[in-house]
Amino acid sequence: MENEVGNCINCGFCETVCPTLDPAGFSLWKGARGRVIMGRKLLDETREGNPVPHISDSFYSCLDCHACLYVCPAGVNAGKVSQLSREIITTSGDRKNENPYARMIVEVTEKYGNPLGVRSRSAGWAEGIHFDGKAEYLLYTGNMFQLMPYTKNLNSARKKIGSLLSNFMASRVANHPSLIRLLSRMRDREMEQKNYGTLRNIVKLLRLSGISFSYLGEREPYPGTFIYDLGYIEKFKKYANYVYSILKESGSRKIITVDPHTYELLKNTFPLYVNNFDLEIYYYLDLVRMPSIERSEEKVVFHEPCHFVLRDPKYSKPLQVLSETTNAVLAKRSGNKTRCCGGPDELIFPELSEKASQIRYDELKNTGAKYIITACPICNVNLSKEKRTMEIADYLASKLPG
Amino acid sequence: MQYTEALREILGGNAIFDPVEKIPYLTDASAFKGKEPIAVAVPETVDEIRRLLAFCDSNKIFVVPRGGGTSLTGASIPLDNFVVLSMAKFNRIISISPADRYATVEPGVRLDDLNEKLAEINFIYPPDPASSMAATVGGSISTNAGGLRASMYGTTKEWILGLEVVLPNGNVMTTGGRVLKRSAGYDLTALFIGAEGTLGVITKAFVKIWPKPEATGRILAYYDAIEKVGLAIKNVKSVGITPLIAEFLDRITMDSLRKAKGMSFPETASYMLILDVASTNISINVDLERTAKILRDLGPIDLSITRDPEEMARIYEARKGAYSSLLKVRKSSSQKVIIGDVVVLASELPAALKLVAAKAEELGIMVALFGHISDGNIHANIFADPDEKQSMEKEEEFQKYLGKVALEHGGSVSAEHGIGIEKKSLLLDQFDFTESRDALDIMRKIKHAIDPNGIMNRGKIFD
Repeated sequence: MENEVGNCINCGFCETVCPTLDPAGFSLWKGARGRVIMGRKLLDETREGNPVPHISDSFYSCLDCHACLYVCPAGVNAGKVSQLSREIITTSGDRKNENPYARMIVEVTEKYGNPLGVRSRSAGWAEGIHFDGKAEYLLYTGNMFQLMPYTKNLNSARKKIGSLLSNFMASRVANHPSLIRLLSRMRDREMEQKNYGTLRNIVKLLRLSGISFSYLGEREPYPGTFIYDLGYIEKFKKYANYVYSILKESGSRKIITVDPHTYELLKNTFPLYVNNFDLEIYYYLDLVRMPSIERSEEKVVFHEPCHFVLRDPKYSKPLQVLSETTNAVLAKRSGNKTRCCGGPDELIFPELSEKASQIRYDELKNTGAKYIITACPICNVNLSKEKRTMEIADYLASKLPG
Repeated sequence: MQYTEALREILGGNAIFDPVEKIPYLTDASAFKGKEPIAVAVPETVDEIRRLLAFCDSNKIFVVPRGGGTSLTGASIPLDNFVVLSMAKFNRIISISPADRYATVEPGVRLDDLNEKLAEINFIYPPDPASSMAATVGGSISTNAGGLRASMYGTTKEWILGLEVVLPNGNVMTTGGRVLKRSAGYDLTALFIGAEGTLGVITKAFVKIWPKPEATGRILAYYDAIEKVGLAIKNVKSVGITPLIAEFLDRITMDSLRKAKGMSFPETASYMLILDVASTNISINVDLERTAKILRDLGPIDLSITRDPEEMARIYEARKGAYSSLLKVRKSSSQKVIIGDVVVLASELPAALKLVAAKAEELGIMVALFGHISDGNIHANIFADPDEKQSMEKEEEFQKYLGKVALEHGGSVSAEHGIGIEKKSLLLDQFDFTESRDALDIMRKIKHAIDPNGIMNRGKIFD
């Protein structure tokens, strides 16, 4: 933290690519440079033992996309500053600065192995599918596709009741995690069916490629992404080891993930917190071999997930597979200048998230492509403004013969 | 707060009052730290600005306009009793007319965004300060920013045809216009260029645009002495070649780029020269060779030519990032790199640099030197620790000396960063040196005529 904020020269380059600055009405504290300045303030006040003002929204609003890192001439990562600042806040026990939703998510995940307590429902998509028993690979959905129908409705409810009441409710749930059961009854059933379909298409693509894999069903835990991102590092360490132990029980060392958040967390973060981490992590498209079909000339635009092109910058498999299948283009802001869909802010700052996703959606739509293709359930929900957004598994499956 | 209600009435939701939310506005890219402003206004319309200025004028509240917040002299930070006026939402490129060679843009448009748009039609807006990614049209007009391409195209003042400005009393005025020539009384546009927001708020700019050179190439030459670099540029220019850019870097800067960007340089080189030639597709190779021959005649340690766009972009970005790369060679994390900016006659640059380097040695401070050699612009980057009184005293003494050297070699205490807070006393030195205290009086009278209550960016340029 000292290093990150100490190296900043306040040049403001990071602000130019930060996806939250514009949606926040250009208020600097919700932009990348502002976060480094606030991080410095947090560090100074904490070091001197002074009370920290209500500063945390600056850090919680960061989408963790890390676009700032790629333009910083001094190599400062404002995303990392946000992450470390959240860690300082959560470890100091500063409840005033701790976000109630963050606390709720963490407490519920610890109790139920799922941020909304719907672990047992998250295997519903697999009804009727026969999985292999002991197999070379384990399909690990990470619950992400299954959670989205709940978060969407939860946000609609939040908007209706206002932030004060919803924060109060989040605090209550954080103190009594079992209350989450009341909230978790709300889900968007249409989206649920759509996302179930996506997971089934992933299975279809893997099977066509001759991959043998098992699935944990209701025992599958959420990977703990929120716990890590929200700065609860000690809790995350414990939770990651718990997830690891369950994955190990399957007997497979090769783990197939289906979303970029889980993929990147397991691949890059778990090894830092789990001793002797020995699992091989794949994104399902690593293993998919599309049958030889005629390449379509249909123009689609691929929205690259931050966790692939910014957090794990050498990973380009989805674009490669898509380009082999059809005429895939990128929006003006792409590669290491891609713009986040705004999704990670959906639970804590829904209005900001909505504005950020609209900006990205317009950029993608302006390419004139017939479809917007996503490779992440969060991006998919946030960019589904019209009926032109498709998850990559669904698009690829639609191109299969028969 | 006393003014909150009235400001809310003027700005609606486009105002920030929360003390925590205001914190990032206390700084810009300089080492100065401002005071908490009364409010931060982020208006969307000219009418909001008009009403805001009229209110501030009536209530003697000071106003600092803020663009990209990239000032290196503290020009964009608030002092006591200030409102910060952020122009971030004035970020539209309104029109581009290549046939008439102008574009109409709002002041919050970032320079790189404007050039990205112009690149679609093979045009450029030439001013390109190293901060162009974040710097805005309004901010760069207000500091008369230069940059690398100033070697060929001059600084911002050459590229502004007209402005729409809100005056401190809330009236809106248009200066100049969209045409390339105009002879109609005093050049009021020029008054606002380099005024650092002390006269009014720019709300629209008519900027001149120009076709992009058809072909460019880059020569990298390394020398063991600054005299050879100076002579190289002199000889190139004397035969009628105007480099598109001509940059020099000293050894400390090269070492920092090696550390920060993994670049490699000849071990024995003391200075690096980056020289771009602009030409046509037919003649670029001949022009590059002709220029390279002049550089070779001075016995470089190494010389190479590239036309590879990726390689050229890599070097260009490295040069633009030279200042921040210096952080990698700091002795401690509390140390700052304070960037000096002066200009001398290009032909006198080697002599000036020798004096500057000797002074750094005498004071026992580390100073990295780079700059725009074609127009005599020196950036002397001083490594200083704000927590150590002696270190800052030496920094101040060095800056003062740098200014003196600039004046004695036919130049100015500020080349392209403006005056802000940092160089107010150096500006007085300059007026004394040129025996032109009258110029200062006239500046004050102009300020008083336009801003009788002195609300616009008080405490910047002069007291």
